[in-house]
Amino acid sequence: MTTLRSRWLEILAIGVIGVSVLRSMTVEADVVQGDVQRIMYVHVPSAWLAFLAFGVTVFGSVAWLRTRDRRWDRLAASSAEIGVVFTGLAIAAGMIWARPVWGQFWTWEPRLVTTALLFFIYLGYLALRRAVIDPEQRARRSAIMGIVAFIQIPIVYESVNWWRSLHQTSSRSSIDTPLRITLLLGVVAFTFVYAVLLRRRLELARLEEELETRRFESSQDVAGAAITPPSLASVEQHD
Amino acid sequence: MSFWRQVFEIARKDLLVESRTAEVALMTAPFGAAALILIPLAIGTDAPLLSQLGPGLYWVVVLLFGMLVILRKSAVDGQPQRDLVRLLGIDPAATFAGATIATSLLVLFFEIALGPVLIALYNPELGSWPWLFVILPLVAAGMGMLGTIASGVTTSIGTRTSLTPLLIVPLSLPLLLGATQALEGLRLGRSIVPWLILLVSVDLALAVSGVLAARPLEEAVT
Repeated sequence: MTTLRSRWLEILAIGVIGVSVLRSMTVEADVVQGDVQRIMYVHVPSAWLAFLAFGVTVFGSVAWLRTRDRRWDRLAASSAEIGVVFTGLAIAAGMIWARPVWGQFWTWEPRLVTTALLFFIYLGYLALRRAVIDPEQRARRSAIMGIVAFIQIPIVYESVNWWRSLHQTSSRSSIDTPLRITLLLGVVAFTFVYAVLLRRRLELARLEEELETRRFESSQDVAGAAITPPSLASVEQHD
Repeated sequence: MSFWRQVFEIARKDLLVESRTAEVALMTAPFGAAALILIPLAIGTDAPLLSQLGPGLYWVVVLLFGMLVILRKSAVDGQPQRDLVRLLGIDPAATFAGATIATSLLVLFFEIALGPVLIALYNPELGSWPWLFVILPLVAAGMGMLGTIASGVTTSIGTRTSLTPLLIVPLSLPLLLGATQALEGLRLGRSIVPWLILLVSVDLALAVSGVLAARPLEEAVT
């Protein structure tokens, strides 16, 4: 019973994902593209989730700089990790969708290029976190980078409007209602997935920090034990 | 000492170091020029094609080789230098502004040094070329600020030389876009105002981020 109560978010997420998958498989297909269009229900929510995750990273970074509370740093880092995964998923789903529709996996299209660079920016953010060992220094440096990195988000979002290319512009008004509802359901389902993953990752990050602290403390003991002062009696005997 | 005096002194210090070593003038700029000579050998020496691609290739070379200009400062400034600046009671925002101005001027010098090479080798259509007096400093300022922030974030990290470019290059996309699209707009006789707005907006965002991050950055390298 306790387990069920503590896992309410996971159970809810599974339910919403189930409904979303069912709906995306049964809703009428696009007249022009056919069934391949259904990948939109993965591609668009993944991209949305990436934006949300990186937005949370900025929020966590600003909050850490204001409060210096470790929890905000964990939030920023955990959210960035999830954001990178879902940016990768959005790119992969987009490439799979592009193959039958555009005739190739990759085109030098502004949305694709800016999204790929976004992926690398946050890979850099995660690389920076790994490169700094001291937790305080890591939090400080990555908080700054987490804020600066967000400059890219409006550019990725606006790229389809600035350069009219192969990628369609914001699709909210241009798609039929049943498809739009399915898409919204996908966005909600993916948001639940994000919440579940973030919750788990935060817990993991807290445990990692605890482990780090324990290792540090135990290493302190060993270093102290290695130094044994000479006994006063033995020194006097030699004299 | 007033804030602006501190800014001036920090910038002067960095430029003095450069004037003594002449690293950008004698090493990085010739290296960039050599890259501009090598590229046509790889993509073909078709003159009309090179004339069309020239400005884009120029910006890519400025961006990638500009990394050397940016990394130069963090290599020169060791822990003793940083400690000295801190002990002198210099405002961290002044340190950021001074370092940014020096780096931006060096990037601008690098851009100007490569300009004649571009014109001589690629013969690009520059259209309303006086606009370059606006575009070049805006890109240099953006790269200078981005470089100062990223160098500050990666100071004293072992993997700094590979990590800093990874942080800077993807983030400089708006600068590259603004610069290339503005030049393209000039060539085709289109309005370049939106691209200038993009460059100014990114520069302003970086300036605000840099000034706000200056103190935490200083604490980070203590």
